Amino acid sequence: MRRVKVEIFLGIVFILIASMILLGYGIQEEQRMAEYARAQEARAIEAGAALYEQQCSRCHGTQGRGIPGLCPPLNDRYFFDQRLAEVGWSGTLEDYIVATASSGRLISTRADLYPGQGVPAMPSFSEQFGGPLREDQIRYIAAFIMNWESTAELVEAPSRPSGAAVGTDITKALPEGDAARGEALAQSLACVACHIASPTGPAWLPSGDQPGIGTRAETRIGEAGYSGQATNAFEYLFEAIVLPNVHVVAGFSEGIMPANYAQTLSDQDLADLIAYLLTLK
Amino acid sequence: MLKSLNFQDLREKVWGMIDRRVRIITAGLGLNEIRAVLRGDPPTEKPNPRYKVHTTSFLFHIRPRYYEAGSTIFTHTFRLGFFTTFFFFVELVTGLILMIYYTPSPEKAYDSILNLISNVPFGLLLRDIHRLGAEAMVIFTFLHMLRTYLTGSYKKERSFTWFTGVFLLGITMFLSFSGYLLPWDQLAYWAVTVGTSMAEAAPLFGNEINLLLRGAPDIGANGLLRFYLLHVVLLPLLAVLVISIHYYKVSREHGISLPASIEEGNVPEEVKKKAKQRIDYLPDLLTHEVFLVSLGLLAVLLSVTVFGYHAPLESVANPQVTPLDTKAPWYFWFLQGMLKLGDKTLMGIIIPTIAAVLLIAVPYIDRNPHRSMYKRPFAVAIGLFAVLVLIVLSYMGLPQYGIETDPATRIVQDLAPEEGEGPLRLVPFDQLLPGVYEVNLTDTKRMCAELDYGCPALVEVFEIFSQRINQAVAEGKMMDVQAVLLIEAWQKDLVKITPRIVYTDPKDGMRKTYERHIYLHRERGRE
Repeated sequence: MRRVKVEIFLGIVFILIASMILLGYGIQEEQRMAEYARAQEARAIEAGAALYEQQCSRCHGTQGRGIPGLCPPLNDRYFFDQRLAEVGWSGTLEDYIVATASSGRLISTRADLYPGQGVPAMPSFSEQFGGPLREDQIRYIAAFIMNWESTAELVEAPSRPSGAAVGTDITKALPEGDAARGEALAQSLACVACHIASPTGPAWLPSGDQPGIGTRAETRIGEAGYSGQATNAFEYLFEAIVLPNVHVVAGFSEGIMPANYAQTLSDQDLADLIAYLLTLK
Repeated sequence: MLKSLNFQDLREKVWGMIDRRVRIITAGLGLNEIRAVLRGDPPTEKPNPRYKVHTTSFLFHIRPRYYEAGSTIFTHTFRLGFFTTFFFFVELVTGLILMIYYTPSPEKAYDSILNLISNVPFGLLLRDIHRLGAEAMVIFTFLHMLRTYLTGSYKKERSFTWFTGVFLLGITMFLSFSGYLLPWDQLAYWAVTVGTSMAEAAPLFGNEINLLLRGAPDIGANGLLRFYLLHVVLLPLLAVLVISIHYYKVSREHGISLPASIEEGNVPEEVKKKAKQRIDYLPDLLTHEVFLVSLGLLAVLLSVTVFGYHAPLESVANPQVTPLDTKAPWYFWFLQGMLKLGDKTLMGIIIPTIAAVLLIAVPYIDRNPHRSMYKRPFAVAIGLFAVLVLIVLSYMGLPQYGIETDPATRIVQDLAPEEGEGPLRLVPFDQLLPGVYEVNLTDTKRMCAELDYGCPALVEVFEIFSQRINQAVAEGKMMDVQAVLLIEAWQKDLVKITPRIVYTDPKDGMRKTYERHIYLHRERGRE
């Protein structure tokens, strides 16, 4: 056979094989695209998780349980089921999260429960409005928050004190504290979200060469740079809770810890909390 | 009425009409002639209508009438120039379709790629082919040049063809490089940032050139648009122009060179005569070209499907985060290697410019009249040495070479790189059992006792981690190490993995902590 004919024959065979490959590829296209879209969604959640940790967890809690007196919970049944109706939002919840995170909040919609950081209650996060994040990054965060939807439980807002509030006089005499009740209170007030679970606030438990908060409260008042009025460990903790911005421990920022405990805790509550903290040597 | 119809007559008339039309369309080939071409018969008319096509048809007039038999020997050219052109056309066609789905703005570019992959049938295939074509074109251009150099085909009257070839090598590399930025992912952004910062080192106008390219001090919306227009308008136009000149020289003026052994070797007269025989374009060369095209298409399709070649796509470009291992496209690694050797201006601008000028001047420097490799050992040695230097420089350009990364960072980066997969991300989701796994304390045999089948993949990764830590300790890079792999269930179908290394740095005696958080979702898929 002449070379030309061999080439024509082989060329046709190649084109046929190529067409078969293309056909096989085409048949799987639909499935591949769907798979890719799912993987993309999964990666959006992963990216959102990292961004949430950097940008949102300080106020909304690492697990999104919120911080009473500061920011509302997001990993919350109420948030997923009724929040849209409460604010009268006509779009989807995901849109609502994107919109809120992008532009922030000037004033809180629930100022009594979650006043936020003052004015604005929540800063804007979108680059468009002077924030640090791009549009797609905010969408990733929304994807991460939406992933709580199927597992979210109702987060109970902490109840107000039954008696008189404790006030800001740190020399005030308090009733005998109950450490066990204090520990339960630390849980229900979600103090543990920042002081045990994540490093938003100074850790209570001893770690590395750092002793627990009970010991640190004793030594801190004698250190240079201490700017408060306390004269003993008890008063130091009293002050740290009711007037959190008088002395901010080095390495942590001002205005993160809710400043309304003087108004929301009773004498007994505070005494219990301090008793619990003093046991953490 | 029927009686008056002469069917014989009618048949001839119709045949004649069709034949006339066909001659107009084929620019000279009648029906009989086409039949003869397809059957491999000799021409049916005189003068040979197959040559007439080359003067009357535009597309055929840029093709050769014939090549000499000797120059079509496969081992002489390896069809490298042909395949370079083939890939150029592959790029044109796929690029044109990709342009439909692409928006050149930083906000939209990355999304449009994601959309292309997840929402456009054959979108991924097109992107993979376009990327493969680009890399293949660079490879084939380079090999084509090397072949021309080794067979001495650049000599005498072909020196201008060589010059346009060097020019095309440059255009090819810049075409490829300008396309690199368009997906707007981390890989693209940082490779191009590194690349354009080299322009800054140019003497006198460095800063201005850099500004002109980037459109701003940093690459942003302006830079992306400029690279896009370079990639889809200016460079392709320039390429078409220079390819035309290059090809015109080959096909119409000097032909493809004969192998040196035939041209100047001591071979019998009849071999020389046979090598000088003409092989006509119609039908032999055309058939061969169509055959090569079908072979090329099959090879491309096989590479992106069966052999699994994929165009990489990292996370979206982030000017605030410089990835740990930034690297240029592989065909610029040699430049990166050179930059590690010395000053930016000298190594990044002056020496490459000298190299390019030398390359262009090769036909004028090399006055040796012989083409055979055996008669110009010096030139061949220089060529091979240059290739060797390129390979060594490319190796030195790798991020692993000559850049000291802090040991803890290196270990975690190798386990779970910032971009791409790495061993940790390949562990099946079900094996990522939450827990605290501490190096040298956790018993790897009992790591996932709760799981029916255990977690062999996780154990393997943990063992790599432990081994790397212990190795670093043995080498004295870290002291008093406490290393854990912490896995937490973070959300539904989402785990958070924290490799944490606490160590004393022997250099300054300080206690240091390095940790990274890696989030993995069940459905993230493999790359």
